[in-house]
Amino acid sequence: MTFLIQQTLVYTIPLMIVALAGVFAERSGIINIALDGIMIFGSFVGALAVYIMQTAGMFGDNTQIVFLIAMLVAALAGALFSLLLSFSAINLKADQTIGGTALNMLAPAVTLLIVKIVSMQDRLSMPKALGFIISNPDMNDVFKPFFDKMFISTYIVIALFVVLSILLYKTKYGLRLRACGEHPQAADSVGINVARMRYLGTTISGALAGLGGYIYIATTASGTAEGTVAGMGFLALAIMIFGNWKPVGIAFGSLLFGLLKCIGATYASLDINGDGIFALKELGLPIYFYNLVPYVVVLLVLAFTSKKSRAPKAEGIPYDKGQR
Amino acid sequence: MKKVLSLTLCLLMMLSVLGLAACNKTDTYEIAVVTDVGQLMDKGFNQGTWEGAESYALANGKTYKYYQPANGSDATDNDRIAAMRQAITNGAKIIIAPGFLQATAMTTVAKENPDVKFVFIDGWTLTDDDGNPLPNVTAVVYKEQESGYLAGYAAVMGGYRKLGYTGGGGGTNPACNRFGYGFVQGADAAAKDLGLEAGAVTVKYSYQHGANFSASPELQAQINGWYSGGTEVVFACGGSMFESVKAAAEANPGSKIIGVDVDQSFASELVITSAVKGLKESVAKVLDQYYNGKWESDLSGKTQNLGAADDATGLPIATSRIDGFTAEQYNELFAKIKSGAVTPKADVPTDANNGEWLKGFEIVIVEFE
Repeated sequence: MTFLIQQTLVYTIPLMIVALAGVFAERSGIINIALDGIMIFGSFVGALAVYIMQTAGMFGDNTQIVFLIAMLVAALAGALFSLLLSFSAINLKADQTIGGTALNMLAPAVTLLIVKIVSMQDRLSMPKALGFIISNPDMNDVFKPFFDKMFISTYIVIALFVVLSILLYKTKYGLRLRACGEHPQAADSVGINVARMRYLGTTISGALAGLGGYIYIATTASGTAEGTVAGMGFLALAIMIFGNWKPVGIAFGSLLFGLLKCIGATYASLDINGDGIFALKELGLPIYFYNLVPYVVVLLVLAFTSKKSRAPKAEGIPYDKGQR
Repeated sequence: MKKVLSLTLCLLMMLSVLGLAACNKTDTYEIAVVTDVGQLMDKGFNQGTWEGAESYALANGKTYKYYQPANGSDATDNDRIAAMRQAITNGAKIIIAPGFLQATAMTTVAKENPDVKFVFIDGWTLTDDDGNPLPNVTAVVYKEQESGYLAGYAAVMGGYRKLGYTGGGGGTNPACNRFGYGFVQGADAAAKDLGLEAGAVTVKYSYQHGANFSASPELQAQINGWYSGGTEVVFACGGSMFESVKAAAEANPGSKIIGVDVDQSFASELVITSAVKGLKESVAKVLDQYYNGKWESDLSGKTQNLGAADDATGLPIATSRIDGFTAEQYNELFAKIKSGAVTPKADVPTDANNGEWLKGFEIVIVEFE
């Protein structure tokens, strides 16, 4: 059980934060299809930062500080990278889907190019493991899933998720941001700078996606940057739609999807109640069944809930003052 | 002003295009490496081949270049054919292509270009439509089962009892299958030599999540499940899969990894040994034979099956981190394999993605996933 929860979090955490990244952009009126590209770029810059710090011997054995700095740097890189999208979408009024696709193509190419220059290889591996912030192997089963073998990123993402959700729904900034995604003309008429709000939304989005990208490689590939995040950004985009552009829905969606994906990958060694019997393996179902389940469940949930699903009304449309 | 500017830009563009075209004409590359799925610098298979070609070319003043078929891990035969033709257009005299997936592409291009020589790594002699071997192709295969055997033997001798194997190619890659089969046999043999009772050694065996040899959260989750369920060491058999196994091992203190193809001990402290094959050496050897005029006599249409006897399989014992398996023990066993006193079996079914063929070991129990 402990293992299942911990492993589910490995899937859920990056999905959750990147889906929230999507919400910030789309709520402000910009379709951010570039989530995947931004994740790749962020993950690479984060990895590069760790590589530089570790080879220079900075912070010695204090790997958690290195991890923290890497996350900050990745978020910064993601924010900067996303400025390309906001510039094309807001200042140049370009088609946002095409702009985002361009970013998705640019990111792996740039990443691989620099990785090759830096390491003379197609991937950038870390000299040292970052490890967990806390390990309590002897803790009782109630707290163990949440306080043993935890990455520092897990706590940070959960905290960020809560804070940003409150920001989006309970503050005037959040209201203004959302207004720009629903009816920017109305927002403009009461004196809100639509362009600035959209820049803000997309930049937060970029920062979160970059952060999610680095967390993804740090927790699943030991921090190795390879110019790919295995389509995690697109998955996050789907989770965002699944969650109806709302934080609670996203948290639920990424938890559900993460749990089902995790069961699919580990069913053969899952021992849920700790009695030494691998119940799911005993069933003798083929692996394809378990790999199918996450997608079937998501389809089913969507079939029953999609009637209520509503995208921000003005997303994807460049703001035109003349239409006021 | 604008007109002048745009005219200048146009001219500049034309000039640069001409310049590039000129470049292409003058540069030719005699030795070409066309890579398999995965990346050139994969710390394994492609890299070993490439380094072999590179070292020979540098030592003998030959020109060399690598070609990566388009579409990366999803490359089709058409992509490989295009890469090989590109190599020939650039003046390749000998093309080295690692990976058994290259068979169809190589047959096609080799028939088109009888004057160009082809080296097929990890595959058998290719034939034309009538079943005659193509004279301009030579093949090199390895007895991976021997390296796997040594790794499995060493692990059990070193005190590991719960082993794991995760292989690439989804059960259809012969090299990975031989590594895995040898690994289980070696573990069984060591258990017998130690006098362990039946079932004392278990091997978790899987081809899941490795179909295209890449790292993935699925693979990391699966292997993490193994380690947290008590598995002590996992043989990561396939390119970038290593990264996910490493991530899982780092999450579980005490977990170890066995590397593949080349010595991977430098990639992580957790690598206890690596089941290697001498790609670099054998590629350099074939090139040497070719340039010394031995193609017709030694290589044309033939397959070399390299193993311990050619020093093409083994473990890098100098960097081994297995206590309880000394260099003397290794040399003794290696000599036995070399002389043929111990011959690991290699009769793996074509589609190995099931547990049936891994049953019937005396002591080792294989838990197939």
